[in-house]
Amino acid sequence: MRILLVEDDPETAEHVCHALREQGHDVEGCRDGAEGLAIARDGKHAALIVDRMLPGLDGLSLVKALRAEGSQTPVLFLTTMSGIDDRVTGLNSGGDDYLTKPFALAELVARVNAIARRGDSRQPVTLHAGDLEMDLIRRTVHRGGKPVDLQPQEFKLLEYLLRNTGRLVTRNMLLENVWELHFDPRTNIVETHMSRLRAKMDRGFAVELIHTVRGNGYILRAD
Amino acid sequence: MRIRAFHTEGFRIAAIFVAIFALSAAIFAVTTLVIVGEEFQDQIVRFANADIASVKDGYRTEGIPEALEVIKQRMTAPGASDFFLLQRGASHRLSGNLAPMPPRTGILNLPYPGGAHGHAILGVGTFLAPGLYLFAGSDVYRARLARQRILRALLLVFAGALVLATIGGWAMSRRFLRRADDITRTCRAIMAGNLASRIPLRGTQDELDRLSETINAMLDRIAALMGNLKEVSNDIAHDLRTPVTHLRHRLERAHLQARSVEDYNQALEAAIAATDDILALFSALLRVAQIEGGARRAAFAQLDLEQLLAQLGEVFYAVAEDREHHLTLLLSGPAWIQGDRELLVQLFSNLIENAIIHTPAGTRITLRLQRENGEAVAAISDDGPGVPREEHAKLFQRLYRREASRTRPGHGLGLALAAAIAELHGGRLKIDADAANGFSIRLRVPLSQAASLHTNSQH
Repeated sequence: MRILLVEDDPETAEHVCHALREQGHDVEGCRDGAEGLAIARDGKHAALIVDRMLPGLDGLSLVKALRAEGSQTPVLFLTTMSGIDDRVTGLNSGGDDYLTKPFALAELVARVNAIARRGDSRQPVTLHAGDLEMDLIRRTVHRGGKPVDLQPQEFKLLEYLLRNTGRLVTRNMLLENVWELHFDPRTNIVETHMSRLRAKMDRGFAVELIHTVRGNGYILRAD
Repeated sequence: MRIRAFHTEGFRIAAIFVAIFALSAAIFAVTTLVIVGEEFQDQIVRFANADIASVKDGYRTEGIPEALEVIKQRMTAPGASDFFLLQRGASHRLSGNLAPMPPRTGILNLPYPGGAHGHAILGVGTFLAPGLYLFAGSDVYRARLARQRILRALLLVFAGALVLATIGGWAMSRRFLRRADDITRTCRAIMAGNLASRIPLRGTQDELDRLSETINAMLDRIAALMGNLKEVSNDIAHDLRTPVTHLRHRLERAHLQARSVEDYNQALEAAIAATDDILALFSALLRVAQIEGGARRAAFAQLDLEQLLAQLGEVFYAVAEDREHHLTLLLSGPAWIQGDRELLVQLFSNLIENAIIHTPAGTRITLRLQRENGEAVAAISDDGPGVPREEHAKLFQRLYRREASRTRPGHGLGLALAAAIAELHGGRLKIDADAANGFSIRLRVPLSQAASLHTNSQH
């Protein structure tokens, strides 16, 4: 897919471009906010990656301008680690996700993939993967026709995995989106809940749906 | 100094007061003089009228000889007019000590015989009978003398007051200037780098003392923030040296000893993990500093601590269970406070994780929430081995790690961060010194106004 990266630091830009191209994406780069806005206006990008601090026009203003013009292109903000209020202001001004520098490349790629496909997902009533079925209204889960009894936290976790079927979700994405924890916990919250979830809906079945991607995160795959 | 003193606010105020005083003194003096003058004139006229009445009486009963007798008595008696004239026709004096004059009636002002300076005659003229004219009057000199004396006394008092007011104003402005100089000196000292300098207080509780106190409090706050910043930069400088040095050793070793691709991969993975750890420490330090600096109140909103803790309980229950700890929640109703959800989640996560990480398997951890005197009180306690009391204060220091926990995950920033978050919420975090066994830490945060009203109406 076609991605626009607006980032003024050449080293970060090079690093990110390289990683995304490796994944088969078509990446366009730009170092200036105003120029970035002009390029983004043609609207043919699947996702934008925008640094907060930019020469010409800052990232927030760029995204606000785009949103004011009716653009729905998903946006991932990048920022330095200093401002702790930044995440909230970034999301309020129309960003879809937020990543603090420094970040692992796998994290960036996973998040870009997640937001880029969010655009075409409507609000479904049920989620499927293989013989797994989740009813979002009745809040029930069945695997191979048999009911799976999940705790609320486990249900939220599985829902997030199902919404990102086939895509890598990182530990941080899970912490932020499932448990609303915006920091790195010292206990293995993710692993604990993941293993409990797996025990209930994966173990004992011929095919395991949740796969661990070592050092990076998890992926739910039906094939 | 003297010239400056006249340009101060104190002196200006003194000058205004002197002017107001001078004006009111002048009004007082003029009024006094007018009243005194009128009183003297009235008295002279009263004497004259009384004298005329006596003479008239005498004349009416026994004729001119008796009138002449009365005038003679009156001229020597005290408390009567000084000058008399009884005149027949236009110029024939029958009695008295005044030269004949054209008869006029009513209150008259006459020149003094001989025209002495400051003297004049005030009196009353009347006809006893057609062609028989009588005048009685007195010298006004005594009245003038009295007025002059009063005027002189007033001027003297006025001059004295003027001198006193000027001296007072000058002294007041001197005092004011000295205090202003104290403040200026202190500010200069601080600008020059002496951050511990403070404005001396007089203990008088006056406006300047209160101003000085406020400035001192502001300086204390700034100094605390500066100290904080300094501490953070020192911490970063000292505590990042070790992990960076370790990272360097690891890379060096790989460079010298690694033979296979697998060796290199292993070394790289370890190096990336070490770098992530260093960056995480950086972020954590900055986060503590930012929260201690009082940033981020923008994200404050009404939130229910009970609901927040219940949710965290669900998150950590499984984690605790996996480590064979028993996590129990004892929540007693909603506790609405004004706060930043994300930060409070981090605060409680830190405390719960501490309890899970730093205690052996089998430990019971209890999370209690209750309302107490307008405060939400959340306590996290465990029945583990506890921490010696003398170490309690150190636990809040940045990067302090107990000997026993050096191998466990963390940077020694958890409690410093939690305390900073508590303070940001106008609350405080305290370790229970008298916990019977184990470790217990308590957060007190003021309940929000609207919520406490709600709570009160329930009782």
